[in-house]
Amino acid sequence: MGDLIVFLVLISLGYGFGKWNEASHYKSIDRREKRLVYLPTTNSRKPLGENGTVQRAYLVSGSVVISVDYFKRILAGLRNLFGGSVRSYETLVDRARREAILRMKESCPKAKQIINLRVETSSIYKGRKNQIGSVEVLAYGTAIEYERG
Amino acid sequence: MKEAKFQGILPTHNDNVSHDHPLKEFTTLLLGAVGLILLAYWLLGFAVDGAVAHISPETEEQLFAKFDLPLADKLVDDPEDQARLQHLTDQLRPFVSVAYPVKVLIFKSSMANAFALPGGYMAISTEMLAKVKSENGLAFVIAHELAHFHNRDHLRGMGRGIVMTALAAAVTGPNSSLSRLLAPTSQFGQAQYSQARESLADQTAITALNGYYGHVGGVDEFFTQMIGMPEHPVLQPFASHPQLKRRIERLEQLRVKNGWQVKAVTPY
Repeated sequence: MGDLIVFLVLISLGYGFGKWNEASHYKSIDRREKRLVYLPTTNSRKPLGENGTVQRAYLVSGSVVISVDYFKRILAGLRNLFGGSVRSYETLVDRARREAILRMKESCPKAKQIINLRVETSSIYKGRKNQIGSVEVLAYGTAIEYERG
Repeated sequence: MKEAKFQGILPTHNDNVSHDHPLKEFTTLLLGAVGLILLAYWLLGFAVDGAVAHISPETEEQLFAKFDLPLADKLVDDPEDQARLQHLTDQLRPFVSVAYPVKVLIFKSSMANAFALPGGYMAISTEMLAKVKSENGLAFVIAHELAHFHNRDHLRGMGRGIVMTALAAAVTGPNSSLSRLLAPTSQFGQAQYSQARESLADQTAITALNGYYGHVGGVDEFFTQMIGMPEHPVLQPFASHPQLKRRIERLEQLRVKNGWQVKAVTPY
């Protein structure tokens, strides 16, 4: 019975903190996305539009590791029994992907656009069976700066 | 062809995540898992009962002959008490229709307890012997354990224990946090079954006592002694035995229904 009480405490803490954390992260993501919407970021091989001569082109990257909370892990474990889309992990991956792209954009304030965007994901903890706890997302691309004039 | 001008637009709606409440999904999945486990436990319970019906006392003895004596490190060597208990057990056996010999063991424990163990052993704790005051009270405890042998509950209980462990491991994997969440479900199934078997054994025991002594004095002696021991009202559905008060009430109902008498008890 003691086991179950510990478990219920963990799952409640996981739910509470997880929800709070996620809400504040989404708030920050929304705010920063609005601010950085001016910077075109595409997977195009060539710069979009006629912008003059390219002065600099360089690799930019942004990466983030986000961990799942206890509640989400249990929910995913239950989902494992029945199959279907693992909804509890969707927000995790969504947040990680957007955060990585944001960090990449924030790393090059002078760029006029980022092309050749690639997003890669991997799970940390892979060696530990049944304990896949966090996801890493790496976003990278080519930042372009133009000559002034 | 003129190239399109890039325009930064943020999506108004996030289609990459589900907007259902996670607690809703949690409840649905949990109820489903609990239901599945109860169903599997129930069905496998039938399989255990079927298997137990095919295990004769001889086969049981053969099966468990290779195992060490149960509770070997706690056994108390008291030939006098042991002989008295063995004698009482042998006297009571025909009244519970247990045709094969049952060997009595006394073990040291601060808990008043008695077990029917596979291999034809009945273990009675020293504290139990200290608690009961009359031969009738002790006879009820012995008859209750004999009833477990008669009903083959010791094998059913063990079979269900194995099923429960296997089920937990199969569904969730050993030591996973999920098995901690689902363990109470199978414990509940186990406890409910166990309580039903205990009530049945009480019923057989009181009938046997009436047959042996001609009255049912002293049947609830042990339970009355135990009243006041901690019993958890919330956890009661998960306990292996029914509530003491309920057990005493049921015995009294049986006594009234069958018109059994209560006479003076034989001292022990």
